Amino acid sequence: MGRLILRRLLSLVPVLLIVSFAIFFLLALVPGDPAVTLAGGVSATPAQIAHVRAQLHLNDPLIVQYGRWLGNALHGNLGTSISTGQSVSQQIEARFPVTFGLVVVSAIVALIVGIPVGLISGIRPQGAIDGGARTFSTLGLAIPSFWLAVILVSVFAVHWKLFPPTGYTAITSSFTGWLHDIILPAIVLGVLVGASLARQLRASLIDTLDTPYIRTAWAKGGTRRSVLLHHGLKNAAMPVVTVFGIQIGYLLGGAVIIEQIFSIPGLGTYMLSGITDHDLPVVQGVALVFVLFSMAMSLLVDISYGFLNPKVRVA
Amino acid sequence: MSTETESTVTESAPDTVATAPAASDRQSLRQWWAEHRRLRRFFLKAGVLLALAWLLLVIVSAIFAPLIAPHDPNAQDLSHVNSGISASHWLGTDDLGRDVLSRLIWGGRISMQVTFETVGLALVFALVIGLIAGFRGGRVDYLLMRGADAGLAFPPLVLALAVVAVLGSGVNDIALAFALVFAPGFARFVRGQTLAIKEESFVEASTSIGSSPTIIVIKRILPNVLTGLTVGIAIALGAALLAESGLSFLGLGPPPPEAGWGSMLEEAYNTSLFTHPWSLVPAGLVIALTVLAFNTLGDAGRDTVSGTPVRKRGSGRPQRGLTTVSRPAAAVAAADPPRTEPSALLEVRHLTIEFQTEAGPVCVVDDATFDVRASRIVGLVGESGCGKTVSSLAILRLLATPPARIVGGSILFDGQDLLDADFDDMQNIRGRDIAMIFQDPLASLDPSFTIGFQLVEAIRLHEKVSKAAAQARAVDLLKSVHIPDAARRLTAYPHQLSGGMRQRVMIAMALSCSPRLLIADEPTTALDVTVQAQIVELLHELRERQELAVLFVTHDLALISEFSDEIAVMYAGEVVEHAPTDDLFARPRHPYTAALLAATPGVREATGRPSLLAGHVPQAGHFPEGCRFHPRCGFAEDACREQPVALEQVSEDRQCRCLRQAELDLPGVGVVIGKSSEVDPVGAP
Repeated sequence: MGRLILRRLLSLVPVLLIVSFAIFFLLALVPGDPAVTLAGGVSATPAQIAHVRAQLHLNDPLIVQYGRWLGNALHGNLGTSISTGQSVSQQIEARFPVTFGLVVVSAIVALIVGIPVGLISGIRPQGAIDGGARTFSTLGLAIPSFWLAVILVSVFAVHWKLFPPTGYTAITSSFTGWLHDIILPAIVLGVLVGASLARQLRASLIDTLDTPYIRTAWAKGGTRRSVLLHHGLKNAAMPVVTVFGIQIGYLLGGAVIIEQIFSIPGLGTYMLSGITDHDLPVVQGVALVFVLFSMAMSLLVDISYGFLNPKVRVA
Repeated sequence: MSTETESTVTESAPDTVATAPAASDRQSLRQWWAEHRRLRRFFLKAGVLLALAWLLLVIVSAIFAPLIAPHDPNAQDLSHVNSGISASHWLGTDDLGRDVLSRLIWGGRISMQVTFETVGLALVFALVIGLIAGFRGGRVDYLLMRGADAGLAFPPLVLALAVVAVLGSGVNDIALAFALVFAPGFARFVRGQTLAIKEESFVEASTSIGSSPTIIVIKRILPNVLTGLTVGIAIALGAALLAESGLSFLGLGPPPPEAGWGSMLEEAYNTSLFTHPWSLVPAGLVIALTVLAFNTLGDAGRDTVSGTPVRKRGSGRPQRGLTTVSRPAAAVAAADPPRTEPSALLEVRHLTIEFQTEAGPVCVVDDATFDVRASRIVGLVGESGCGKTVSSLAILRLLATPPARIVGGSILFDGQDLLDADFDDMQNIRGRDIAMIFQDPLASLDPSFTIGFQLVEAIRLHEKVSKAAAQARAVDLLKSVHIPDAARRLTAYPHQLSGGMRQRVMIAMALSCSPRLLIADEPTTALDVTVQAQIVELLHELRERQELAVLFVTHDLALISEFSDEIAVMYAGEVVEHAPTDDLFARPRHPYTAALLAATPGVREATGRPSLLAGHVPQAGHFPEGCRFHPRCGFAEDACREQPVALEQVSEDRQCRCLRQAELDLPGVGVVIGKSSEVDPVGAP
């Protein structure tokens, strides 16, 4: 197991290098003179332009700039914001737990919704519950998350006033306040991911329950519980775990939109403000953290896959 | 999926697509038919038609927006703000008095343009990257594929946002940004296709003739990739639309007046959330419906391309873990005449099993009748397709419903009719009174659990013993089937054992609760010959050691002759002869038995007699009238063709289903061949 994790970590190194390279070279894509554009375009004063040029070392060759940026990033320094002058790393540090909390609660919502629904419709396909579940998962793949958010806000927050339409309470100041504020955004994010999990689990369970080893489990005198839940679910879970790993990327992307709708001060809102302000260091820093976050999550998923699948573990 | 309609069931003929470049005319015609049928099936789905109609509507109205839109989408009418549905404004007006329908139609232009541009660009990138990577291989391949990994490592929206942050948010910029999101996945597929086609000898051959391999690969790959990607493209179109709308909703979409659907929704959200919540509906609904349409096409395409029938087996809800029995009450009564003789351990009487198929119910086992007496080994023999495995699975009610249903007969175990049992009754009998082992031990052991877990589970399902006690017994069981180092094997997974070992584990598991009957369904077929002999020897030995009746299902007469007490021969879903093994071999009564004996390897060489067995076992559903064997029988008379033949008691311990059994004198093989052949004594492998 240790070797599996190590191997996975090592395989991430070249990918990470390319990712960092790509993120840094966003700078090269900036149209016109980056110093002028980033300083605010035509309205920028020569002093502001000179400041940006000096801050980002724009006179150095690109590769030197990249080396410096990467070196700093490895030391946890992602530069300073052009518009506010604040340290990007500090902002990210403050905002990361917010996004992390949202993503974790959403993932939990996804599992709570996806597993029972997928399980029931996989065990009893063609039943009434299965019909509803399939409609739900089909719609879940088609409905835009922001539309669902908007609808839920207008129903639960504006009409029934059950939840606040926007706002955020830090988990450190009040856990229940935090949960109350985060539950609606997390439901929006999680339900749609749950829909595709359910769909995956259903298909996988139907295939699994058709296998000879499930027949053996019945032949042994297995109870419904032991056959369907132990042998069936554990084997059916493997492809679902893979899909879940992919879904986490979508969760992170979706978090950007959801944070904006609910005014949650996380990484997503930070990145959007960076985009509106043409604040490239902010965009680069947040993008890098998002990629790291997403890679860490899929590594976790891979490891849990190893626990489920003995063939991977011993290999 | 809403697209799964009743009309789409199993495709009966395997659609083998000819890969040879010069396929014969007949083959290509057949292929065309196969494709045509699939296409027709694709278009016949209600969901597909609806999706196509919706997309056509959206695309046509986007293209002809200036002609179709009833109003100027940007014309404000501040005296009719947020008006409801009316004759001139079919979907009402927005907060500035603009016509919602016209805005949707014009918005479709932008949204559709971004969507199709995104996917088109992504395909171009993917083709270039994938072709280069697949074709050049080596370092270039490595770098490009790590690049693709990097692209996939980004949360999709974040990558697009980062690119939009520097490029700006014009229609083309957004399309480019999302193309970068979709390209890596497509590129991998193209690379895979390139590699596969490059390997084909056809390309090698063309290279040796002198044509450029690049041109060949591109020529071969383009059509392959485009068909292979159709499903991916449909899904990507939906995803691209979702992504574009999301971006616009964040206020980063194409700036007005180029407002797509996402921007419309954003405006409605910002201005009317608290006052006119209904204004949030139209744009969102249009996005959702369009994505749904793309996804529907993608899913239906996947079903069509892969040829996987939506419902693999008949229709109806599966009954998990218990074959459905639906016997007419009258048939039950008739099948069970009161009897005086001492009953056997297992009595199968007139067992009739149907499979639901596309063409309706087909009778697979018809009137199977045989006994297994306590401590006897009975062989159930026949060619493949004769119904022997189906009959053996029916005893423990292990056939999947659908498609299988037991429609007649009875299965008495120790006097109890298993066809009357409910799930809990059966669950108690399985594993404890009757155990079963199967043909393929690797597939039959759960790959995700250790041997120890599966053995302990088998014990603890039926006996209230502690885990430790069950574990100790599991070790003993493994020892009793001659598995060396038994204690250590408990932590092994099935894939870590050899085939013979796995079957020993299966046997140990089957015997864990000392059952009175063991059903073995071709337990040695998947094993090689030496291991086969060891397993047979083991079963024989176990039978000597504990009181155990065995029903041994096999197609191998030579094998079963070595150790069975009796043999029942099945043909076309019926038992045709049942006799003590020695008698059966010495003097078969049924022409089919005689033919089987003659065809047994070893006998043919030894006797020099020609095989009498020409032709094939008839398929279920196509059983001949009269005696089912008559078309292949050298002794058939007119009477044999007229009506079904019943299984008759011909002597105290023999039954036969043949009109002429009394007059025919069929050749046997004298000595039971198997008993003369050497079997390796079992030992530690």
